[in-house]
Amino acid sequence: MTRRSLTVTACVVVTLGTLGVLERALERTAAAQTRSGIVAPRFEVDPLWPKPLPNHWVVGQAIGLSIDAQDHVWIVHRDNLLGANEAAASQVPPTASCCAKAPPVLEFDPAGNLVGHWGGPGEGYDWPASNHGITIDHKENVWIGANEGSDAHLLKFTKAGKFLMQFGKPGQSKGSNDTENFGRPAKIFVDAKTNEAYIADGYGNKRVVVIDADTGTFKRYWGAYGNKPDDTSLGNYNAAAPAAQQFRTPVHCAELSHDGLLYVCDRPNDRIQIFRPDGRFVKEVFVAKTTLGDGSVWDIAFSKDPEQKYLYLADGKNEKIYVMLRESMEILTSFGDGGRQPGQFFAVHSIAVDSKGNLYTTETYEGRRLQKFVYKGLAPVTRMDQGTVWPR
Amino acid sequence: MMRTLPIAVVALALGFASLPSATGQAPPSFKVDPLWPRPLPDHWLLGSVTGVAVDAQDHIWVVHRGYDSMTARTEIGAATSPRTSEECCVPAPPVLEFDGAGTLVGHWGGPGDKYQWPASPGGLTVDRKGHVWIAAAGPPEIPGSANATTGRGRGTATPASGTNAAGRSSAPPKPQDAHVLKFSRTGAFLLQIGQAGKPEASDSTTGLNMPASVSIDTAANEVYVADGFRNHRVVVFDAETGAYKRHWGGTGEKPDDAPQPPYDPDAAPPRQFRSVGCARVARDGKVYVCDRGNDRIQVFDKAGKYLAQGFVSKSTRGTGSVWDLAFSSDPRQQFIYVADGHDQKVFILRRDTLETIGSFGDGGRYPGRFYSVGSIAVDSKGNIYTGETLEGKRVQKFVPTKNAK
Repeated sequence: MTRRSLTVTACVVVTLGTLGVLERALERTAAAQTRSGIVAPRFEVDPLWPKPLPNHWVVGQAIGLSIDAQDHVWIVHRDNLLGANEAAASQVPPTASCCAKAPPVLEFDPAGNLVGHWGGPGEGYDWPASNHGITIDHKENVWIGANEGSDAHLLKFTKAGKFLMQFGKPGQSKGSNDTENFGRPAKIFVDAKTNEAYIADGYGNKRVVVIDADTGTFKRYWGAYGNKPDDTSLGNYNAAAPAAQQFRTPVHCAELSHDGLLYVCDRPNDRIQIFRPDGRFVKEVFVAKTTLGDGSVWDIAFSKDPEQKYLYLADGKNEKIYVMLRESMEILTSFGDGGRQPGQFFAVHSIAVDSKGNLYTTETYEGRRLQKFVYKGLAPVTRMDQGTVWPR
Repeated sequence: MMRTLPIAVVALALGFASLPSATGQAPPSFKVDPLWPRPLPDHWLLGSVTGVAVDAQDHIWVVHRGYDSMTARTEIGAATSPRTSEECCVPAPPVLEFDGAGTLVGHWGGPGDKYQWPASPGGLTVDRKGHVWIAAAGPPEIPGSANATTGRGRGTATPASGTNAAGRSSAPPKPQDAHVLKFSRTGAFLLQIGQAGKPEASDSTTGLNMPASVSIDTAANEVYVADGFRNHRVVVFDAETGAYKRHWGGTGEKPDDAPQPPYDPDAAPPRQFRSVGCARVARDGKVYVCDRGNDRIQVFDKAGKYLAQGFVSKSTRGTGSVWDLAFSSDPRQQFIYVADGHDQKVFILRRDTLETIGSFGDGGRYPGRFYSVGSIAVDSKGNIYTGETLEGKRVQKFVPTKNAK
């Protein structure tokens, strides 16, 4: 079997010298398929994590993932989309003993035990027509995004599921220059230092929004390259066309590093755009640039070292996780492949890292799993594309 | 070239439900091997698995629905035009052969000049001579069997049409399956019984109608067809010539294709089969038939004389509980393992009494859990293999831990 080399196009707005070095590095990769002298974090799937859910519960599209300060793993999933075959015990009347829809928010301890669950419609807030994204902030509050057609809001709860705040109202989105509502917001990042929330906004809008995490007051927002966002349709992505000057929906993540760089997932544009917290554009990097449809840049997590030396990128279209050197944004290696077995993916959607460096993923569409990849330390890179990473 | 990944077999002790047995016989127990089989090469994906079988060398054979069960927009970006992903993924060939270690050692299948490849395969079996039999059971009757063209997987799967992969909605539908196929173990065509597009009713001596699965009586050189998803009978043919031998309906009566009311667990058991998912011949010559929609196994002698019946999860409605069954590997075949794709578990029955004495499995996409486990087979060492259809799309291995030779 001949493996085609990973197609990586790095479009880095830095000095040409740096660019040249990067290109040579990529050429070496393509030629040798081994990465002499390069080390990168290595992972192995834990095929028996998490533990089976109680009550014959099953999980729908697992559409959000976050790790809290106690290394508890939180997911949000679309229980409402579990059908009559899969959730037969939730039918009226039940048609089988198995299975029932698990509550939409699930909390697992590090051993994989389910230790908390809540979520769904309630008094005083609009539960999303379609859940999307979950984030536990530094104050231990739980944020949830929403991406159905009319969804234009974020929700904030306590970890026990008590409603705290709603930002925006369903059906009220006025587009990417609205300063009161969102447009099907995908994911939330809360900066502990400034108490600002960065919103990847989203499936309807084409911008990053920064709000006060307590009051919800809009502070600033911007589009691709820091441009004023423009909701004019971009049509379908074309890898050969000039780079789009706007984000192409969905804007799927906005993650701030310790050193003050905001990494934005411009998913169907197959690129990460990097900004300063004030919206100043720094650079962009294309990943798997020929990818069409859903795109390659789904979600980002940083390695747990203080420098956050590595960046992990989930690609739910090519079904793999890229391990990138954050400074250069060079892809060092990747792992994962399509499939339903441990360590394989169908639409790997969300990614997060715990305090020990272990990596977690969730899958949407028909993947419908939460998986854990155990951090095995830094190791020499022997394959650009590691495939399915099973325990050695 | 296969990927050579080191394998560490980590075992999961499954939640095992043991029921009291009137005679105190302890049920066997199993644990899943989460790292079996090995990853497929070339970014191949399994579609909905409709059949799993074990041959005389303990090789494991799988048939799956391939492209037609894939969501084109999201699942097989490397198999669409235009290609939307770099390498991942493409449907694997429909027939796959694994060795006991889980390494893929053979693959074939698909349309040919001399036979009609199924709109959707059903069960498969490998006879003692190494011939591979495949039931042509499509289009699938269970909602959700053919995926939505949106690729969004939002529970809005469209009804099966036979060619329901995204981007192909304008393709003419394949003729309705009404046949079984026999191949050599390397995929050379040998025999077809029945004709696609020419379904015949339960009194036919030449045709079938969406047969669910096949099994072979080696001693008599006969093939038993579970006929099926539309017909209401077991029909037997000569395994060499395909000549009709005999058939019978539920409780050994003349089969009746008249419409039936929905299954009612509280009503008197109907005489007729509701849907015939399997017909498997035990070593002692008894024939065990999966009457899926009636949640029961009926037992016959080879001539079709009714002997007994046993219910499995009798309260199950929906798609029914008895999707497929396999016998334990001990010489007396003391146990029957029933794949219940609606309750998402494998039931363990005593073969002599048809009493349910245990079960394992639960719903979910994780190792040891199931989504639509619809096919089951046992190797000579007592390992159980299961196939999951719809969006389960896996084959799993369960290793005996006790009492399960």
